[in-house]
Amino acid sequence: MSELAAVSEEEYAKVCDFLYRRTGMLFTEAKRYYVQRRLSERMAFLRIASFATYYAYLRSDVDGEIEKFINSLTVNETYFYREEHQLRCLSSDLLNERAEAKRPGEALRIWSVPCATGEEPYSIAMWLLENWPEVDVRDIEIVGSDIDTACLTAAREGEFAQRALMRLSPGLIAKYFVPTGENRWRILEDLRRSVQFTSANVTDRAQVRAHGTFDVIFCRNVLIYFDDASRRVAAENLFECLVPGGFICLGHTESMSRISPLFEVRRFADAIVYQRPPEDGHG
Amino acid sequence: MPLIRRPSPPVEAAAPSRSLTEGTADQRWAAVRAAAERPDAVPSLAAALAQESDPRVREAIFTGLARAATAESAEAVAAYVRSDDAGLRRAAIDALRAMPMASRPHLPGMLADPDPDVRLLSCELLRDLPQADSNPLLIGLLERESSKNVAAAAVEVLAEIGRPEALPVLNRVAQRFGDDPFLAFSIKLAVDRIGRS
Amino acid sequence: MAEAAGKRILIVDDANLVRRFYREALERRGFEVDEALNGVEGLEKVLGGSYDLAIVDVNMPQMDGLTFLKALRRQAPLVASLPCIVISTESREHDHAAARAAGANFYLVKPISQDLLVEHASIMCGLPA
Repeated sequence: MSELAAVSEEEYAKVCDFLYRRTGMLFTEAKRYYVQRRLSERMAFLRIASFATYYAYLRSDVDGEIEKFINSLTVNETYFYREEHQLRCLSSDLLNERAEAKRPGEALRIWSVPCATGEEPYSIAMWLLENWPEVDVRDIEIVGSDIDTACLTAAREGEFAQRALMRLSPGLIAKYFVPTGENRWRILEDLRRSVQFTSANVTDRAQVRAHGTFDVIFCRNVLIYFDDASRRVAAENLFECLVPGGFICLGHTESMSRISPLFEVRRFADAIVYQRPPEDGHG
Repeated sequence: MPLIRRPSPPVEAAAPSRSLTEGTADQRWAAVRAAAERPDAVPSLAAALAQESDPRVREAIFTGLARAATAESAEAVAAYVRSDDAGLRRAAIDALRAMPMASRPHLPGMLADPDPDVRLLSCELLRDLPQADSNPLLIGLLERESSKNVAAAAVEVLAEIGRPEALPVLNRVAQRFGDDPFLAFSIKLAVDRIGRS
Repeated sequence: MAEAAGKRILIVDDANLVRRFYREALERRGFEVDEALNGVEGLEKVLGGSYDLAIVDVNMPQMDGLTFLKALRRQAPLVASLPCIVISTESREHDHAAARAAGANFYLVKPISQDLLVEHASIMCGLPA
């Protein structure tokens, strides 16, 4: 095991500050070891011995280092029932509040963007079927979108490695998946057909508008990659496609402060989410 | 299964009004957002900003100006750093921060503005510059700065991006404002951090 | 010293060194201190925890202190009633009046000494100064 450069508390604070200002990612004391390790790994990989040198390298974004560093921090592997507390919030609070505001026959619409290879929108579908009492009496539309068309193709196929199912109980796996050999599983056709997958870039207003309006949007770990100007545009696009009173959920290290003050902060038992104000009518 | 899939109806396109200053806040917001996508938007956005009081519409105008990132849009935004309204000041600085290249020519002037709050807020914008550019500007400001709060803001930024060339001026500021406990505290910390980098 | 124990103060300010300066002073007096970097995070913290006092700077990115204050006062009564000291630069009369209108309990002007801060914080938390 090669020796990784040790990173001091001050140095850690500097990097966290920079990350926060640049991306909105917020790391608490609890995550210190995790971030320090990623830092040390990047430095070892680049053969940079001094923190000051790496810090300057990171700040100047040589060779796309900021994105590389962010990638190392966001666990890119997606899996079913990731950030379960947000799913709990969805079925315990968000959908109930939204359902009350619906006209008869009006569907509740949920957007997962970016959806990558589909774990998130399928998770939402499964979770609601399992946990939301009103799931049988309400129309629910789930849309999954991504900028990566290869991901979308895979998402429509709905086949996953065992790893992606690690948070699911054997009972759930048996109920919603069929094995396709070699530790791979395919989600049931009914569920595959219940999610619509589309291509979308959240910074593109026309593309976002083409998707209609939503009651709940899950937009995790993508805003952190944008610069300030693009992030503002994306936030406005997302705001525009939320119904008044609709909710948006970000990744757990992301602070909405990056793209506020459009949204209002709402605290529920399981999560803090952001809401488009319910009444927009005032001139 | 109650989960249904069907083609999404696009967002209602209400007859797009070209006017950025008429109608409800929602209508003005939509008009501003549409305008911001056109290349010639800056003059009309700047004009609309002067009349707009709704925070969300203002925010969208600032976003449009930041996206444009031209000399004109930066000029239009920079004027609002002098506002009496804290929210407007904040919005202007955030917009300038979102267009670093376009803002840069304005920085020396803002750092020398007679209003101490303008100087103070402008220090923030130096954080993202290459150190070779930010350090001389901050050193220049500190050499002549009379306001303790502005000096403190500059020291705060230097604590993060300062280089050894800034150490002499920091020591001079410590002597000039020796009686201020916060400045003494900040300078000590900044000198410490720069020294160890 | 012991009376401050159990009293929690939230510092809402985007400047690292300011937060550190206040924190040191308040912790020396025995207060428990938490931090937020701007108004939105301030709101998140306030909604997520319970504090006895917030010390809020006016000039912060994303959401300034007065906007934070107005948003705070719109929340449910238990949260909305959080005492707030607002801190601004110089004596901007406009900020002072705006802070009062937004619901600030007290208004201080920088630069502030640690003693002054602790004195006001103690009073706002119902402790002897």
